[in-house]
Amino acid sequence: MTPQVPSVLIELAGLMLRSAEPGVPDGERANALRLSAGLLGMAAERWDSAADNLVRENRALAALLDDTAAEDDLRVSVLGAENARLRARLIEAQIAAEQAGDAARLDAIWAELVASTERRKISMAPV
Amino acid sequence: MAHPLEPRVASYIAAKLPDASDVVVDSLERISGGASRETYRFRLTYREGGQDHARKLILRRDPPASLIDTERRVEFEAYRAFHGSSVPVPKMLWLEEADAALDHPFFIAEELSGFQAAPAMLFAGGYDAVLPKVAERKWTILGEIARADPVALGLDKWLETPAADGCWRRELDHWEHILDTDEAEPQPITRAAIRWLRANPPPPAQKICVVHGDYRTGNFLYDPTGEVRGVLDWEMAHLGDPLEDLGWGFNPVWQFGRGLAGGLARQDQAIATWERASGLVADPAALHWWMLFNCVKGQGIWVGSARTFIDGGNRDPIMVYSAWWLLNAQERAMLKVMGKL
Repeated sequence: MTPQVPSVLIELAGLMLRSAEPGVPDGERANALRLSAGLLGMAAERWDSAADNLVRENRALAALLDDTAAEDDLRVSVLGAENARLRARLIEAQIAAEQAGDAARLDAIWAELVASTERRKISMAPV
Repeated sequence: MAHPLEPRVASYIAAKLPDASDVVVDSLERISGGASRETYRFRLTYREGGQDHARKLILRRDPPASLIDTERRVEFEAYRAFHGSSVPVPKMLWLEEADAALDHPFFIAEELSGFQAAPAMLFAGGYDAVLPKVAERKWTILGEIARADPVALGLDKWLETPAADGCWRRELDHWEHILDTDEAEPQPITRAAIRWLRANPPPPAQKICVVHGDYRTGNFLYDPTGEVRGVLDWEMAHLGDPLEDLGWGFNPVWQFGRGLAGGLARQDQAIATWERASGLVADPAALHWWMLFNCVKGQGIWVGSARTFIDGGNRDPIMVYSAWWLLNAQERAMLKVMGKL
């Protein structure tokens, strides 16, 4: 998830502390609570599967790109950086396939892009 | 406890009302949302001409950094141009472009009070009977925006007039640049969409119109009868192709999971309403181009929102909400418009 979850939770902690102060207008306090609840819900939904999804996606991308996905550090932030490296390579591969008119290669790339989009879907998504 | 902005706003307004006395601002509170501007409602009271006055007003102030970087004057002038027309908007009062009064530029407007804007409330069940009317009014008003003459409105003084065959390129260049600048991670789907858009440009705009830039369910006020009482959030207003506005409202992320355009109507019904009101035609291929473009534009906004938070320009968690809620959804929308999902 971008921005990364830990940095967001730190800001939410600060928002909650400020909202607990006396004198905060009721409407502002309610808005802060609604916002915090929504963000915490999204973070909770993605938390357990975050590393697993990134590992799966990185392996799939590496296979498609004849590359190797680094897995010696399984922190979500490190896996996310590896994912970004592979997705940047995927863009280059897709452009090359478009220019070459390689329909089979393009189909394979699109299939992975659809699969990765499905993996990242959250339950409250509007689409 | 009084909000610390209250005396500063009162001082500013007192200078604008030289014949008034006892100028007081109270009940000032921030309204939810407002990721591109801080929006507050407040009550103004004062004495003038031997009479007491009380007014409900809105303050729209720039945040330290925003998910959309736009000129305050553009929004102010767009509102002012349509006030009193068939396009309902609040009355603008004062624009302040300097930082001295309230630390950042802002404007003050009359509040259109007593109405709702939230899609969640609109779709909660209590408004089901009037949703067809909301839909009819929504796309009729958008058609009236498209039918308006930007020169007669005086907006050509503030907004650049593009060539009819250059609208698409200007907008696509703008949002691609934002993606280039702001993306925190590669966007393969969005980049593929941009390449398709460049390879398959739309026909020239049938006329140069006022484009609201963010005309969607959630950015207008509605009442219990289904009437649209105010069109809000003009900060991305510009002159361009009228199909851009139609395509933004058809962005699947604004269906709110209801499978209808804007959550309100079948897309063909919305188009028919808009064509009647605007006197224009929504060519299907051109509209498809503008729908995909608007998915790219949406992603540019959500990516920019994330970037603003990451860089520390604005650590308000509202900047995160749009990114977390919509980055993936916008990719799904793009895949749907491209026929991949």
